[in-house]
Amino acid sequence: MSGPSLPFFPPDLFDDERELLLDTVRRVGLAEEQKFILGERTARFEAALRERLGAADVVACGSGTSALMLILRAMEIGPGDEVVVPAFGCAPLAASVVNVGATPVFADVHPWTMVVEPYEVEESITSRTAAIMPAHMFSVMADMPTMRALADRHEVRLIEDSAVAQGAVLDGIPAGRWGEAGVFSFVQVKTFGSIGEGGAVVTDDAEIAERVRMLRNHGQDGKQRFVHHVIGFNSRFDEVMAEFQSHRLTGLATRLERRAQIADYYTERFQPLVERGIQPPPPGRDGRCFYVYSLLADRRDELKRHLAERGVGTHVYYPTPLPAQPAFAEYAASDRFWPHAELACARILALPIYPHLTDAQVETIADAVCAFPGGPR
Amino acid sequence: MEHAATLAGARAGSAASAATVPFFTQAAGFAAAWPRIEANLNAVIEGGKYSHGPLVAEFEATLAEYTGAAHVVGVNSGTDALVLLLRAAGLRPGEEVVVPAFSFVATASSVALAHGRPVFVDIDPVTYAIDPAAVPEAITERTRMIMPVHLFCQLADLSGIAEVAQRYALTVVEDSAEAIGMHWDGTHAGLQGAGGVLSFFPTKTLGAIGDAGAVITNDPKVGEIAAALRHHGRFGRTLDHFPGISNETVLPGFNSKMDDFQAAVLLAKLATLDADIARRAVLAAAYTERLTDCPGVRRLPTVVKREVETDAVFYVYLIEVERRDELVAHLAANGVGTETYYPVPLHRQPCFAELGHRVGEFPNAEAACAHAVALPLYPDLTEGQVDRVCELIKGFYR
Repeated sequence: MSGPSLPFFPPDLFDDERELLLDTVRRVGLAEEQKFILGERTARFEAALRERLGAADVVACGSGTSALMLILRAMEIGPGDEVVVPAFGCAPLAASVVNVGATPVFADVHPWTMVVEPYEVEESITSRTAAIMPAHMFSVMADMPTMRALADRHEVRLIEDSAVAQGAVLDGIPAGRWGEAGVFSFVQVKTFGSIGEGGAVVTDDAEIAERVRMLRNHGQDGKQRFVHHVIGFNSRFDEVMAEFQSHRLTGLATRLERRAQIADYYTERFQPLVERGIQPPPPGRDGRCFYVYSLLADRRDELKRHLAERGVGTHVYYPTPLPAQPAFAEYAASDRFWPHAELACARILALPIYPHLTDAQVETIADAVCAFPGGPR
Repeated sequence: MEHAATLAGARAGSAASAATVPFFTQAAGFAAAWPRIEANLNAVIEGGKYSHGPLVAEFEATLAEYTGAAHVVGVNSGTDALVLLLRAAGLRPGEEVVVPAFSFVATASSVALAHGRPVFVDIDPVTYAIDPAAVPEAITERTRMIMPVHLFCQLADLSGIAEVAQRYALTVVEDSAEAIGMHWDGTHAGLQGAGGVLSFFPTKTLGAIGDAGAVITNDPKVGEIAAALRHHGRFGRTLDHFPGISNETVLPGFNSKMDDFQAAVLLAKLATLDADIARRAVLAAAYTERLTDCPGVRRLPTVVKREVETDAVFYVYLIEVERRDELVAHLAANGVGTETYYPVPLHRQPCFAELGHRVGEFPNAEAACAHAVALPLYPDLTEGQVDRVCELIKGFYR
């Protein structure tokens, strides 16, 4: 069986980077210093990101997921602590909290933008709350000014899950810099995806940065080997990845702009479909980053089939709210409900939006969506 | 053509420079393996999935064949593999795991990261592994598992450990991170109990060019849970299958997926692993021949004869010496790299201070920390370089 002609996950992501990939692996493998992890290349990559963001520090690590765990541990959040997280999103939002021994408390999301609702977050704060952890979703940044105000008012810490939003800017402040610490993810599907797993912690707090640096490498202080000051992880960054990403950084702005242009076009085309039960995301560029272009469709499964028949691959992020997943059921308060998260799970459908889509392909996809008869469920 | 020149240069450079002996390099081996590595990297690009993809699947299958393990789960590091193994083998929060007081920190930190409690016991001074006779006094009603570590060149006393584990109803999980190629009575390291791990840290016998590791097990349940935990607790098909990212999350898991470019390098190196192990044995024998009866050298590696057949794999050539830190400085001043495995025993690490251990509690572990030093040992090493290292050591104690 051959896949769709316009797959959701493009298999040719780095076909144009073949020489770069081969050269990078060969160069690092043969290099005089024979240093493969957390070396000079990683330091240069961190510096380049730091400069771009205007952040005090960027610490590269094993993945976006482990970046969240590193921040939680750096803030000494653990058993007995609660962390407020969105009820709709990727598993690490809740798993990172559980894995450091703390308790996730789920807050419902906005029915259209699918980012966490400030009033739901505020309602979830108790005397045990150590932090709130809003997440940017698909193409929309969470309401960070309000989150910051909430964190200040209730004296809890603010962790920004900006794994999907590298390159977004809200009110002049880049994603990753609204929280006391934020994260990036470089897994291939992301806007700054790479040839392997990787992530980063972004922070202006020198103490968090120093602790994260120790925690990512077994609690060592970078001076004395094999002396372990805290129980840490192995969450390091490979030199091959650092060199590859440093090269790719130059084209990032262009690729992000291309994604935004595709999104602009889609949204304009899909605006009239609202009355047929297909809702595009809000238009606009502020606080936006087009990692995933997600529609909300009343007859989602039919639309998915309709598009598949026309060679357009799609994906359902996420079919189940976090509190309804077996891993987190024990943390789902029995007297709380997350109706907007459930609705999002039932209606969401993501379209291809990778930057190497041609204009003609983008039109084909939009035409296919517009050809869906729609109508009430 | 330009590539060929670089590769030839790497080979020549490594062979010619007997004066400088780095603690580790794999440049010449990498250059020799490059045609296979390049072909594998092209396969990664063709496959289009850069982590947890087709090359990782192929590496797992090849490694399963090599080790005889029924299940191989490729992950991001040996440390992650330990955490996943402990959780997959059923460790519950607060339960205790018996570990040696002398090892890399991950042996004990993995237990803490899995929400268990490490309990230290002293080591056998010859194998540097858990002394089974020291285990009974560490047992409490919370003890659930025992984690022997196989360090440097040989396996722990797995018969003794099996016996003590049976007596106290403990699950055996093996920190076999260093033990690829080692067998106990025909069974590969890591496969005696619930499971084991492998580390592919670059200096390892089978090394990537970055972090990578694996869980190995013959227990299908342990294999299945470990595989789910590395991918956010998602069961069902995720390997080489993008849509698996939306599978239901059944367990609070991690992201510990292996990179396909690392699998590409590892697959290429796996093809020469047995030859590399044989080369290590030759070099180890050369060290032993030259350092036997050398003044100042307290102990050379000794492979213990067991009642069953075992085989040594010289991952590390570790000796114990007088005035260790001075010798290390002397060798460094003469261009010879060494590594001190390990300067501080686990019970005296700051991160375990709250366990309240004192100096003198585990004398064999403490003696090893005071005297042990690892000499350069890797397939790229030449016998001329071994001569150079040994002459410097002899010169220092003369």
